[in-house]
Amino acid sequence: MIPTPLRHLLRALGLAIVLLIFDGSTDASAQTSPFHPTFPLLDAEGVNVLESGLPISTMRTCGACHDAAFIEGHSFHADVGLSTLTDPGSSASGRPWDIGDGYFGQWNPLTYRYLSPKGDPVLDLTTPEWLQRFTRHAGGGPAVRNRDGQDLSALTPSAEDPETAIFDAQTGQMQAWDWQSSGTVEMNCFLCHIPQSNNEARGAALTAGVFAWANTATLLGTGLVEQEENGWAYQLQAFDADGSLLPEYVTVQDPKIRNCAQCHGYASSDAATALALDSCDAEDWSTYTTGQVVSPQRLADSALNLAGKEQLTRSWDIHAERVLSCTDCHFSLNNPVYYQDASQSRLEHLTFDPRRIDLGEYLYRPLHQFAKGNSAQGMLAPELDDTLRRCESCHDYDAAHTWLPYQQQHRAAVACETCHIPELHAPAVQTADWTVLTTDGSPALDCRGIGYEDPASAIPLLSGYQPVLLQRQNADGSSKLFPYNLVASWYWVYGDPQRPVPYRNLEAAWLDGEGYHAEVVALFDADGDGQISTPELKIDTPEKEAAIAARLSAQGLDNPRIAGEVQPYSIHHSVAGGDSAIRECRVCHGDDSRMGQSLLLAGSPPGGVAPQFVDNPSTRITGDLITDEAGRLLYAPSAAKDGLYVLGHNRVAWVDLIGLLAFFGTLVGITAHGGLRWVAAMRRPSHATRFERVYMYGVYERLWHWLQTAAILLLIATGLVIHRPDLFGALSFRYTVLIHNVLAAILVINAALSLFYHLASGEIRQFLPRPYGFFDQAIEQAKFYVDGIFRGREHPFEKTPDRKLNPLQQLTYFAILNVLLPLQILTGLLMWGEQRFPGATDTVGGLPFLGPFHTLIAWLFAAFIVLHVYLTTTGPTPMAGIRAMIMGWDEVEVHSRSQEAKSHT
Amino acid sequence: MRDFKYVWVLGLLATLLIVFVPIALLVFPVGEEKPDPWTALPPHPQPTDHRALLKGPFDDGPAVTAACLSCHEDAAQQVMHTSHWTWESEPVLLPGRDEPVTTGKKNSINNFCIGIQSNWPSCTTCHAGYGWKDADFDFSDETAVDCLVCHDTSGQYAKTKTGIPAEGVDLVAAAQSAGIPTRQNCGSCHFSGGGGDAVKHGDLDQSLFYPAESIDVHMGRHNFLCIDCHRTTDHLIGGRSISVSVDDTNNIACTDCHSTNVHADERLNAHTDAVACQTCHIPEGAVREATKMHWDWSTAGQDLPEDDHSYLKIKGSFTYERNFVPEYHWFNGSSDRYILGDLIDPEEFTPINQPLGDLHDADAKIWPFKVHRASQIYDAEYDRLIVPKTAGEGGYWTEFDWDLAARLGGEATGLPYSGSYGFAPTEMYWPLSHMVAPTAGALQCNDCHGEGDRLDWEALGYYGDPLVWGSRTRMQKIGSR
Repeated sequence: MIPTPLRHLLRALGLAIVLLIFDGSTDASAQTSPFHPTFPLLDAEGVNVLESGLPISTMRTCGACHDAAFIEGHSFHADVGLSTLTDPGSSASGRPWDIGDGYFGQWNPLTYRYLSPKGDPVLDLTTPEWLQRFTRHAGGGPAVRNRDGQDLSALTPSAEDPETAIFDAQTGQMQAWDWQSSGTVEMNCFLCHIPQSNNEARGAALTAGVFAWANTATLLGTGLVEQEENGWAYQLQAFDADGSLLPEYVTVQDPKIRNCAQCHGYASSDAATALALDSCDAEDWSTYTTGQVVSPQRLADSALNLAGKEQLTRSWDIHAERVLSCTDCHFSLNNPVYYQDASQSRLEHLTFDPRRIDLGEYLYRPLHQFAKGNSAQGMLAPELDDTLRRCESCHDYDAAHTWLPYQQQHRAAVACETCHIPELHAPAVQTADWTVLTTDGSPALDCRGIGYEDPASAIPLLSGYQPVLLQRQNADGSSKLFPYNLVASWYWVYGDPQRPVPYRNLEAAWLDGEGYHAEVVALFDADGDGQISTPELKIDTPEKEAAIAARLSAQGLDNPRIAGEVQPYSIHHSVAGGDSAIRECRVCHGDDSRMGQSLLLAGSPPGGVAPQFVDNPSTRITGDLITDEAGRLLYAPSAAKDGLYVLGHNRVAWVDLIGLLAFFGTLVGITAHGGLRWVAAMRRPSHATRFERVYMYGVYERLWHWLQTAAILLLIATGLVIHRPDLFGALSFRYTVLIHNVLAAILVINAALSLFYHLASGEIRQFLPRPYGFFDQAIEQAKFYVDGIFRGREHPFEKTPDRKLNPLQQLTYFAILNVLLPLQILTGLLMWGEQRFPGATDTVGGLPFLGPFHTLIAWLFAAFIVLHVYLTTTGPTPMAGIRAMIMGWDEVEVHSRSQEAKSHT
Repeated sequence: MRDFKYVWVLGLLATLLIVFVPIALLVFPVGEEKPDPWTALPPHPQPTDHRALLKGPFDDGPAVTAACLSCHEDAAQQVMHTSHWTWESEPVLLPGRDEPVTTGKKNSINNFCIGIQSNWPSCTTCHAGYGWKDADFDFSDETAVDCLVCHDTSGQYAKTKTGIPAEGVDLVAAAQSAGIPTRQNCGSCHFSGGGGDAVKHGDLDQSLFYPAESIDVHMGRHNFLCIDCHRTTDHLIGGRSISVSVDDTNNIACTDCHSTNVHADERLNAHTDAVACQTCHIPEGAVREATKMHWDWSTAGQDLPEDDHSYLKIKGSFTYERNFVPEYHWFNGSSDRYILGDLIDPEEFTPINQPLGDLHDADAKIWPFKVHRASQIYDAEYDRLIVPKTAGEGGYWTEFDWDLAARLGGEATGLPYSGSYGFAPTEMYWPLSHMVAPTAGALQCNDCHGEGDRLDWEALGYYGDPLVWGSRTRMQKIGSR
């Protein structure tokens, strides 16, 4: 009679063997290790397994030479959060029931099962069941020790203790788990360090609960061990007379992409085999959650049905294409080859410290803490955050981006990933709705970037998706926009303190055997076909919500209610090379900017519950949840709230409103004034005013005037293009900015030269209002414009080469030249200076302040120009003023007063 | 102050200049311009309508040639100084030899149909002349030059044994159609080298008459003619291959049109020191039609089921491959050559045309080759390769008698035959330069580096993958010599 767990194991292994036969990647053609000595396989007592027939102990086998206890004790892959477990609700995620930040202790709505803390009256997931289900764990940590640090095998089985109990589906009761008979799972060296590690067989052994044999199962297919009816048989032909492995069976190696890919997602170093992945499958975890794929293969060469595939000549990941492997960046932190002082801790006078541990010491105690980044989803081991070399550690940003205008500004605002991961082509999960359950026990799932070109076709069309950009805090305190996927999920919680409803209760509420409960069918089956179709499977009415809640309450759960959350997943892989990165300014600088591009979260939130963002130490959520007309829930980021002012994208509504009012108000004003003048002139008998030709404007005066005219008009025009690039689609944003800057330089130089001229020649006095009687004169001039001009009166002040400006003109120019122009030059200069002297710019508030301010003044300039041009027509003839500014010769009225004066002389 | 009527024109000009000159300077900076590859292409001459000039009738090929020469007086002499006519090179000093030798189709040996000596009429079908039937061909007869094989554009011109026009060819129509050589002209011989479509080269076959751009980007996407790259002056056509020509002259290079730092990626440009363009841009040979990769003459003469691509009684057994992965070797442009009479080791592969160059040769680059391997007849006593008489009277293809074929061949080459023959392995190198893939199909890093196995680094002389071991420059610093 074979004990039950073993029978499970055998069945599972049968499957694993079948998988093995069809899975070419686990063939035994791996190269033998050129370096690693041969060794015996030892059991937990240190006895050769050929003698004892017991499971292999990796701690003993590898620990014979390497300091296995050190390795296991310093590895977040083993610990996965065990040593940092907290009370429910005190973890970094902010979830009220989370007891940790790692794989062991942090709840994830995608995997759903909740690891129960000690003392919970209702036990959900217990440690033994966690081991069975969460097979991405590499062993060690919670697979050998309990939460207090005791060996699991030393624990007394108890049905009340989440560490020694398991739910028995048959009895519906918790049952004690005997760690003695199941064994525990030591940290699995083989999984990462041999090329043909058999993860399927390992997973099968874990799921079957035969923990002691899981690591041995990893060797299935290497020729060292075979699965037989009564257990495991070590293959003697693979061993020498002393019981050590024959050299050709020693394949120990550095972890390769394939090894990491077993648990982390779709990753491969194989460019030849056409890439195929089950669309949106939790097996490939990081691919599932983000769409990231690491492969050197060109997208066009993959076996996936990608939209526009022929044009997709980039590789899935440029680093894989360039023959980098996971461990090149995620290296062991005491690897003497890679070790480098963090810039913060490095001595100022040393750029390189050549002292490092010997290779031998390293091989004895290779630290299994690996360099890591600071992804939103990887909240474990925060003390190791950003030990990974980031892009800038290897790449010279400046040298690679000489083509990019405002390099430093771009660098400060957006992460490398933002442009270099423009799109994820593999599907990623979008919504997991656990408020409902499908008949196969999974939630209602929606994925991004996947659709059906032909609804009848079984082959999905992968259209990819563009990630949303969120602010992320970096180790150096700076904050940049990074690409993210947002996964929204809804689920039932109960009680106080709240807990997610255990899966078994959810199942009991929905399912009855193979199908739905009749009561549930009656409630959800809208079309009356006796089935609940995918669109019907949704809690969209209070009745449905209440009914399911009642079915949960009936199982003893207190106050079941729907909760929702959004988990950000940051994206750092699937990097595109420069050719395929975002290079077009308009992608961000425009109305439909990436910066403001919203991301769909759910077709309709179950129960109308707005989801909460999961707390994350590095990610800042500044945007809003919005519901569109179709009732879909979206996340809309806001560049403005992120402290960014993206030219062409961001605008301040009231600035533009005031500007438009000023501009069009002036236009209306002059039209009315001009119309009245025209009417008055028609009515008035023409009387011959005497004119005199006077040389009014010198050559230089005219040149600087027209140069300024050209510069200002072109500045306003190009400025408008920069402000609203979407209205001027054909124009290059990049060149428009460049031209705007050149024009600004011309304007400034011209203004400076002209100032010099006016100062040196004394002409400056023309612009200076004379204080004596100024107000009287100004009022007199104003009265002329509102009255005299319609009556054909003479201008109150004679225009002479020595006194070209009337008091109102003097006042206006005084304001324009002393206030508006300097302000516009200053704000423009500071905006330009964001690239060159960002400190100064940021002191005055940076672009979010300068941008709108610059725009406002530009509007006022535009309004002024309209008025200015109109007033030139108030001379003796409408065109006289303009002609004078062109030709130099003006026609001026011969004033009766000056006539008199002249006759006196 | 004078009132100058057109002062506004000057003012306007001055203003516009001051505004637009700086803009133009900054927007269109005067800098290094990428050379435009199109500028390197030779212009095609205006076609001349020959219908009024060549009325005919013409009795035979030489009559057409005489008519051509009445206007193009120097043409025949020009052709007669090229290898298309002589089938022989200028004397070259090969490594390890005291005397210069000439090589060429006229006197060389290969490992396909072996050699033309004693087999002239069949082989000289593709000679650019008329009537080469034996060793006594008159190479000074101008009217024996075949103008039409290159200049016919009527599409119906064809040659038969000894190179004379085939039965049924309309010589008048052919002559009147005279124009610049098209892909059809060159391809009529070069696409069928080895006696059939795609047999010999591995990068030339009849699909190039009208190729898709995925097959050949130059001809398929840009509609190139052969002579756009094989530029021709005075009938001397640019280009050569080490299958017949051993000296490193009259070459064509990708860099005739393309710049060496044409890649946007610095890393790729750095490769051009050691890697030929062809290596990455011709990832596979024979992309359309399978080419002959192996030929075992020793199995000939049996009554086995026949198939052009696997076994023929007259020729033995073959292997054909499509989309083959090239072999990669250092190559500096020159090659050694097996010269008739050289001793061989019948146990080892005898290279017919060993490409020269190695890791330490700064002029050598890694090139892609089709390597054709064969088992061919040799003199088992004198240990040297034999040119057997295959075609024609007494030849192996009619008598199936190797001994007789070897004797008749020996008489033609002047190399005595011992009376004892065997079959020895040989290999022949065909550098690949045609069928260039579009950029998107070029090799990627991982094809050769990392787990990629295209290049056998140690065989090429590296310590290991230069991605981690360093380039040959770095190796030389370490001191690998």
